[in-house]
Amino acid sequence: MSDFSFDVVIVGGGPAGLACGIHLAKKGVKVLLIERGRFCGGKNLFGGVIYSESLKEIVPEFPKVDPFPAERPVTEEGYFIVSKEGVVKILHTKKTPEESFTALRAKFDNWLSEYALKKGVFIAPKTKVVDFLWKGSQITGVVLDRPKSFQDDRPTEISAKLVILAEGVNRVLTEKAGLVYGPFKPEEVVLAVKEVLQLPKGAMEVRLGVSENKGLAVEIIGEITSGLPGTGFLYTNKTTLSFGVGIFLKTLVDLNLKPYELHEKAKEHSIFKELFQGAETLEYGAHLIPEWGIKGLPKLYGNGVLVIGDSAGLVNPLFREGTNLAIYSGLMAADTAFSALEKGDFSAKTLKTYEDRFKESYIYKDLILLKDLKEFLFRNSHFFSIYPDMLYQSLSLYFSAQGRYKRDVIREIFGIIRKKRGLFGVLKDFLNIGRLFW
Amino acid sequence: MVGSVNIDEKISSVKFFVDEEYPHLRIKDEKVCLKCNEKPCLNFCPAGVYRLTEEGSILISYQACLECGSCRIGCPFENIIWSYPRGGFGVNYKFG
Repeated sequence: MSDFSFDVVIVGGGPAGLACGIHLAKKGVKVLLIERGRFCGGKNLFGGVIYSESLKEIVPEFPKVDPFPAERPVTEEGYFIVSKEGVVKILHTKKTPEESFTALRAKFDNWLSEYALKKGVFIAPKTKVVDFLWKGSQITGVVLDRPKSFQDDRPTEISAKLVILAEGVNRVLTEKAGLVYGPFKPEEVVLAVKEVLQLPKGAMEVRLGVSENKGLAVEIIGEITSGLPGTGFLYTNKTTLSFGVGIFLKTLVDLNLKPYELHEKAKEHSIFKELFQGAETLEYGAHLIPEWGIKGLPKLYGNGVLVIGDSAGLVNPLFREGTNLAIYSGLMAADTAFSALEKGDFSAKTLKTYEDRFKESYIYKDLILLKDLKEFLFRNSHFFSIYPDMLYQSLSLYFSAQGRYKRDVIREIFGIIRKKRGLFGVLKDFLNIGRLFW
Repeated sequence: MVGSVNIDEKISSVKFFVDEEYPHLRIKDEKVCLKCNEKPCLNFCPAGVYRLTEEGSILISYQACLECGSCRIGCPFENIIWSYPRGGFGVNYKFG
């Protein structure tokens, strides 16, 4: 006999789990969300940007909410392409800044969990799910790391018609449920380290040219990761900066590198020297990004169980998507749960409609589109080392061509390209990029 | 190029609720570590949880673990018994 009983138990209080919970509670489903942190968001970390379009699906009044859970509207976004000598910036001013906001997850996820509570989701923080309850091959609930009571120290058991796994990148329960074959590999995840930095008052606005209601979201490639496949990122929060680097774990293991040394080296690049002057580290952190893609996609459903968000590996590294895909997968799982509840059937056969929904979505199609991206980046690491140098040096010649016969300048630029990559190499690279997507 | 970065200083910016009774990271077989030449865990762990003792064995300061999961798969000999800390314990980001 279990200790408590719910229609649906969700494991993990990130955007996926919370979106799923809110959607279900709004429809009157009795749902319990279990979070191992002291509050939702306390274990969570991202770059990062949240997208309104997905969030509005669960919080329609967003961004007109009080308290406001995000940092700044993203008014400018783009790329810094960093060579050893300098940087080429590609920045795009957004026409609709309410589309995306910079955010910090401890605050954002916590806010979303408050919203979920108000909508009727039961939330149990400080609680870890250690196992499932099974009835034959059907998952029928979860086992917690908490004793039943002061008198009875056997673990608490909670029965559920359906368990939804939103446990994040380290998908230990998803493995336990038999939905993945073994742990992921170091080449399938990016290890990102990040700092939240406090600049002297007013310095961020001056140094980055962002006034109070403006915000910057920048991906950084090239020397920022010491030319290794990966990216850096810079986001303006309300009063702080988020700055980090992400590199494939396999690269770190193979080359025996310390991620925080790469991060520190990135911070000390001459192009950031002025920006970070007098900066104080308010918080350091690290997180894995699931980039196993379609090839490592777990089975998304089983008897009495569904997998959503990072646990499924729903990220799009090229388009910086993650939390939005987590939310959508949570909604699709909630819809599936709802029809299963109506039917009173929680077998894999019924829950397969989640996969059907997923396969119709752009999330799945995008995963297929990017199926070879990882291997492509590993094979073509010169995109991160040679190209940034080539671009910077070529533009240096172009922008300082005064007083010279321009034909010589252009020839010199071609000379750089020929020397660094070769015209044939560049052509081949362009064809390969084309082949990756078509 | 930066010299060696002081990871302890970085970690001191992070709030932890340490579970003194239950180390959530353990070495499966210490002999395996002694035979491991590269010992990549000493480097890739973003919290510097893995340290080398003078005797050449690995010391785990699980108290500073950021729970990223890198060591679960990064150890080439799968020699780490990995779990999350008990509910409510471990890293507690203020910003995240």
